[in-house]
Amino acid sequence: MSETQRMGRPECDEVLNELEELKAGKMTPGEVLAALTGASNRHALECEECAHAIDEMVMTREALWPMKETQPEAGPWFAARVMAGVRAAEKEIEEKKEGLWISVRRLAPRLVAFAALLLVLGGTWAMELRHRESASGQAEVRQTEGLFESAPSAPLNDDIVASAGEGARQ
Amino acid sequence: MPEPATEGKAEAGEVRQEADRELVRRAQQGDKEAFEVLIRKHQGRVFAVAGGILHSREDVEDIAQQAFLKAYFSIKRFDQRAAFSTWLYKITVNECWDLLRKRKVRPLMYEADLSEEQAHTYQSREAGGENARDVSQQLEAREQVEEWLDCLEEKDRTMLVLKEVQGFTVEEIAGIMGLNGNTVKVRLFRARQRVAERIRRKKRAAGV
Repeated sequence: MSETQRMGRPECDEVLNELEELKAGKMTPGEVLAALTGASNRHALECEECAHAIDEMVMTREALWPMKETQPEAGPWFAARVMAGVRAAEKEIEEKKEGLWISVRRLAPRLVAFAALLLVLGGTWAMELRHRESASGQAEVRQTEGLFESAPSAPLNDDIVASAGEGARQ
Repeated sequence: MPEPATEGKAEAGEVRQEADRELVRRAQQGDKEAFEVLIRKHQGRVFAVAGGILHSREDVEDIAQQAFLKAYFSIKRFDQRAAFSTWLYKITVNECWDLLRKRKVRPLMYEADLSEEQAHTYQSREAGGENARDVSQQLEAREQVEEWLDCLEEKDRTMLVLKEVQGFTVEEIAGIMGLNGNTVKVRLFRARQRVAERIRRKKRAAGV
């Protein structure tokens, strides 16, 4: 059976469509038949499958009827209670929004103190870093100076020859 | 051509829907009184929808309240393409299914689930009052119904109860369940077959 077909024949489908249009409530098979239109009524009287479908509907409705009798109903204050719930929920949302701002304000002195501490620590660290950098810079300069001040290298042979020549001329 | 009675009914339905549309518009602009009117108009059917899915009276009340709260806080996003009632019942059905999913198992109906008045009557059963017997019979009958419906999937069960007990039309059920009308008819037909088969089998077993 496909999703759209229930019993196959168009007359049967018409009966089933009419059955779905019936108002809810307990009914006898006779009452169901009487509620069908002429053609569907005649068909249902002859068709075994349709008669079966009517029986099943009657049986199901009768079986489920106790649900109607035990069905809870809204009390007289239900709407007022829902509206109280709405107001409470709105208040809660409002308080949450305000709460965030209040907690920011409440924490403000601590935040300021923390920020000041961070500033002091950061400043100290920066000073220290600068001091270290300048110290290492001076050391580097000193090291470079040391290189230039090292003992002069041994005179080259050409220099010796040149100075010897000068001495001979004098 | 529709019969005069049907035509009148359709007109009344249209008037009701137009009134709802106006109330929804006002509620969308923050008019709480308009929303309260919507609650009063639809609370009966919201209880009927939830009552068809859940057993306990308290659960039904809680879910109905939750459904209205959800509707209130999302009404600004509701574009009115569907009827307000369909949208509201859809929220209710989804809330019920969420609750059942959370609990996994369908709880049985206990004395604690009854309203104060019903519980009072139920407690006086030992005294042998007529009403007390009625309540206890109602409870038994309700448990029997649950047994019949146990053979159905949650969606089919909901559809069958909405149709056969609460009197919703196929179109309304289709709107609530987000299904096509024809699919609803087919699923109702099959659900009835299964329930009827279960009843027949039980009757056969009992030798009736």
